[in-house]
Amino acid sequence: MKTFEEKWTAWLDGQLSGRELAEFEASLPDRAAAEAEKADVRKLGALLKRELGISAFANEEFFSHQLRERIRESSVPSAKWEAKASTWWTIPRLLWTGTASLAVFLIFTVFVIRDKNPAEKSQYLTQILNARVDPVVSPNATVSMFEVKQDRVTVLWTEGLQSLPADYAAK
Amino acid sequence: MAAPVRPRKLSGLNETGPAPVQFMQTEATLAQADVSDLDLVTRCQAGDTEAFDQLVTRYRIRVFGMIYNMVHSEQDAWDLAQDSFLKAWKSIKRFRGRSSFYTWIYRIVMNVTIDWLRKKQVKGGGSEFDDSIQLKHIEPASKTVPKSEALPHEMIERREIRARIDKAIAQLSPEQRAVILMKEIEEMEYHEIAEALGCSIGTVMSRLFYARKKLQNLLRDVYENI
Repeated sequence: MKTFEEKWTAWLDGQLSGRELAEFEASLPDRAAAEAEKADVRKLGALLKRELGISAFANEEFFSHQLRERIRESSVPSAKWEAKASTWWTIPRLLWTGTASLAVFLIFTVFVIRDKNPAEKSQYLTQILNARVDPVVSPNATVSMFEVKQDRVTVLWTEGLQSLPADYAAK
Repeated sequence: MAAPVRPRKLSGLNETGPAPVQFMQTEATLAQADVSDLDLVTRCQAGDTEAFDQLVTRYRIRVFGMIYNMVHSEQDAWDLAQDSFLKAWKSIKRFRGRSSFYTWIYRIVMNVTIDWLRKKQVKGGGSEFDDSIQLKHIEPASKTVPKSEALPHEMIERREIRARIDKAIAQLSPEQRAVILMKEIEEMEYHEIAEALGCSIGTVMSRLFYARKKLQNLLRDVYENI
């Protein structure tokens, strides 16, 4: 459904035909005024065309020359970019290298920490803690351990132990 | 001084005939006239800058004229025309030939120019008119009437009329300016204008309605007395 503005414009420009034209012209309250308006618009169009229709464009060849230069210049950055892209250090490679380096660092750190902690405990202590007290020889024997890591102090508390087996001796 | 370039029918890419004859007589050699826009575009898409140069030669006057009538500054029109053609070159590979090359480049021209006008309005800096030009290069109808030296009072009158028209057009929105100029100066069809502006035909007609109304109010005394 066309608005009045659209129909009016189409009528002024002679774009209405047939039934549409007849209906529109029949709907006009003042046909004579509408025709005068149409003539008015034509005069306006003629004035615009006469006054604005021609614009002098000096230095046409220089215009084209300048444009050619700009086109040439605009292609230079992309060439530079292509040159950069042709080097080994592409962005994906940089990312992969960075990720791999971080992973190696993390693995190394974990191993160092893991190796460092056991070294803080003596082998003897480990032996005692891992030992099972023979219930036949020492039925009431208990072994307890207290450790304060920041002070590097470990207390081994044994109760009811008659003797330590020979292979439990500290090495 | 450039020759008038206002072929009635725009050259369509789907047409097999050559580009507008009038234009070719003034802006291109006879050899170039045999090459259609489509052929040139195809060569451009293969990276042929020479072909693009030919297209520029064909359309530079019309593009410049259109922009000049919208911005009223020769320098700005020059820069905007340069930007438009550069943008066209950069996006020529995306041109699929569904419309004529002229309509396609007009769309770029309109986008560039309307964006510029909008930014200028937002900034609010500078005057709408470039008074330094004084229309010294504009010789209305100089190519359509027998050449004769205009009398001083006639020249003054012409300048005044031109200034009145420019001032009136400056009161239109950028979109209304584009529509009225494409319709009245370029004689483009509604659908071509709609395509160039990326809007519906109804919107084109509506903008044309309001643009005409405004210009009628502002310029009635001018065209009634001619």
